[in-house]
Amino acid sequence: MTPELDDVLAVTEDVWTALLGETAPLVPRGVPAGTPFDATGAWSAATTVSGGWPGVVTVELDETVARQLTARMLDLPADATGDGDIADAVGELVNMVGGNIKSLMPGPSVLSLPSVAAGRAAFASDVVEACRLDLLWQGAPLRVSVHVPA
Amino acid sequence: MRAMIIDDSRAMRSILRRIVSNLDFETTEAEHGQAALDLLQAGDVPDLCLVDWNMPVMDGYTFITQVRANPAWRDITLMMVTTESEQRQIVRALAAGAHEYVIKPFTPDAIVDKLALLGLLPEGHEVPA
Repeated sequence: MTPELDDVLAVTEDVWTALLGETAPLVPRGVPAGTPFDATGAWSAATTVSGGWPGVVTVELDETVARQLTARMLDLPADATGDGDIADAVGELVNMVGGNIKSLMPGPSVLSLPSVAAGRAAFASDVVEACRLDLLWQGAPLRVSVHVPA
Repeated sequence: MRAMIIDDSRAMRSILRRIVSNLDFETTEAEHGQAALDLLQAGDVPDLCLVDWNMPVMDGYTFITQVRANPAWRDITLMMVTTESEQRQIVRALAAGAHEYVIKPFTPDAIVDKLALLGLLPEGHEVPA
């Protein structure tokens, strides 16, 4: 069983609006399957769901998006955010997106603590992509993907 | 009134701090349940704890059970603020002694609403329409 793309979009929009307000909409973006996330500088974060529904929820963000998200969450100027701040904020972002996707799936399940990296996400060889959402925010890309055991 | 914000995310603590500070709460912060328990044991006992569920070292559920096991802390109001939204887990947290439950993402008004329900909205602040 995999989450519906519309549900993943709704969850992402809810989280985004809660964290960033109505600053600018998330705009769907057509990206061919198999295309790696194409931001020049990227941050990625993942959380694993285990139990009734096993899966991995991953968020990848362009660096400028990650920095603005962090600045808003910490109430700092964007140029005052450091890597530690960004890692913290991006981790909380995937925690919220992953937790809400988990709630849509059969349970009971447990959500892992997030893992965050500066750079594109790496995926284990024993999972396959079940769902992927490519978006633009203020012209910069972000991606939410869900992987499930192969 | 005083609030303790317990969440492993500094960004989330910052968001919650701004919300409750605007309501004139004084705040302290802890990055996991054990750090919060340490503060309580040191005598830093707030009126309200805002507690995440999923944290390293000690999770929010364990923290709540520890607080409720100590009669000296029975006046603390415990509000879970978490992405954990399975009904089974919500019931579990409330049964363990949480007074209220807020699911992330939330709006500031959602926190204010819950505080009003708990009778913790300071004088001069209004429930959102």
